[in-house]
Amino acid sequence: MIRAQALTKTYGDKTAVDAIDFTVKPGRVTGFLGPNGAGKSTTMRMILGLDAPTAGSVTVNGHRHLASPAPLRSIGALIEAQGFHPGRSARDHLRWLAASNGIPTTRVGEVLELVGLENVAGQRAGRYSLGMGQRLGIAAALIGDPPVVVLDEPVNGLDPEGIRWVRSLARRLADEGRTVFISSHLMTEMALTADHLIVIGRGQILADCSTEDFIARHAASYVRVKSPARAEVGALLERAGLEVTVVDDALHVQGTEAAAIGDLIHAKGLGLHELTLVRSSLEDAFMTLTASHVEYTSKAREEVAA
Amino acid sequence: MSTVTQSVPAAPEQVLHRQGFGDVLSAEWIKLRSVRSTWWTLAALVGLGAGLTVAVCWGNAEWLASAEADEPPGAFLTWGMMIAQVTAIVLGVLAVTSEYGTGMIRATFAAVPRRGRVFAAKALLVAVLLFVTGTLTALVGYLGGNYFLDREGIGLALEGDVLRAMYGSGLYMAGLGLFAVAVGTLLRHTAAAITITIAVCFVVSNMVMLIPGDVGLFLERVMPGNAGTVIATPETFNPNLLDAWPSFAIFAAEVAVLLAAAAVAVRRRDA
Repeated sequence: MIRAQALTKTYGDKTAVDAIDFTVKPGRVTGFLGPNGAGKSTTMRMILGLDAPTAGSVTVNGHRHLASPAPLRSIGALIEAQGFHPGRSARDHLRWLAASNGIPTTRVGEVLELVGLENVAGQRAGRYSLGMGQRLGIAAALIGDPPVVVLDEPVNGLDPEGIRWVRSLARRLADEGRTVFISSHLMTEMALTADHLIVIGRGQILADCSTEDFIARHAASYVRVKSPARAEVGALLERAGLEVTVVDDALHVQGTEAAAIGDLIHAKGLGLHELTLVRSSLEDAFMTLTASHVEYTSKAREEVAA
Repeated sequence: MSTVTQSVPAAPEQVLHRQGFGDVLSAEWIKLRSVRSTWWTLAALVGLGAGLTVAVCWGNAEWLASAEADEPPGAFLTWGMMIAQVTAIVLGVLAVTSEYGTGMIRATFAAVPRRGRVFAAKALLVAVLLFVTGTLTALVGYLGGNYFLDREGIGLALEGDVLRAMYGSGLYMAGLGLFAVAVGTLLRHTAAAITITIAVCFVVSNMVMLIPGDVGLFLERVMPGNAGTVIATPETFNPNLLDAWPSFAIFAAEVAVLLAAAAVAVRRRDA
């Protein structure tokens, strides 16, 4: 369990994380979603005691990480894509990590096998591909068999097979009862991986809900209806218990499928010029939600959001 | 009555083992010996420190035994250490900055949140490693170099100031290594830390000799590159410097101040 209370980090007059509150619960995968520069990595560094909060606090299993009597046995983290010495072998990297927390050396072999690096464990880690480096980072996160696992952008640089592997690993860790907290700037990836989402933009929490709710709320599909008798059609559909919004010269209808709406209108003998199912993508929803909260807005992104 | 199946976390937090300084020390030791740079720098220390001493003694033995000699033979018996000291600086700096350069320092501080322990373990290991290697190197250099001095009848026995210069070489290497660990921790950048340490210890230490009067003499005596070396030579080339132990006390105090500053910085800064 990770719990942040009024967690704040400022750099000079820039606020990277703005008094956020959230709880990451065990037994599920929580996605930490936000555009680049939203404050994800800063938050993760504060969880691990790497950056000191300007105000507020964050605890892991009820205590600050800095006060942890057995750090790697309470939280494991992948924080940096290449957080190892290029001249040291993967096995030696894991050996010093294990030694630092009094973890038996046998665990090194176990996590190497878990991430599939056992055959290249003796090689200098600098020779690894980005994907192998990520696997080593994940092995390092799991070395203490911790109840809380934090992964910062774990799928960066991974091929599709690697991405699927991270996804199923996260699922398995959560099913084992662990707290799993994964950051990403990829909405679609998080929709597949996470049970719960915490969305952050410009240092503020924009959403904290189940992935299902998030999709329902922000990426719902609707039926666009155009009719010469717009007012009558609108009233008709509302009487049928559907949610109707007037957008320009069209009606956006939610609550049933296109065919049913067409039948209703046909039954009243009203004219119908357009009947289209519009599915807004998750990525669009995420963009829309965070559009006003991104640090560096590109022209292209503005167009997508609009 | 219905049975409720509750999912129990498979990995409840187990505090079977409280992290102690011994754990951190063994982790840092694994780090230090699992990169090639450690062994290369130590090999260079031995090669330069012992090799150059032997070479210089071989080349100068005849002259030193002659009437024209205006340098004491003892000053040559640890001559190579004055060059080899650069390797001690590289070892000390790399023990710290290689972690900052690769971002590994975050893994280290996440695994050992009490950063003072990491710093202390690195400092201790660098100091012990350099003390042992420095002393052994000086001994090898002495045995080889003194062979040529003996041939000219000006050899020195391994006692008194000569013996002190042996472990004195170890102490000086250890002190330089600690100096470098501190500077590396403060600057967090390999090239900057090595350059600045070498500049302060050697270039500036020599340049202050150009300052005239008591101020110049004072600075010459206290600069780390001068104060530290006296203990590492049986007889010094520079008669202006204080005796071995007072000089070493000055050097040790300078190292201690830097280490204290670094220990504060490493705890206060964001990683």
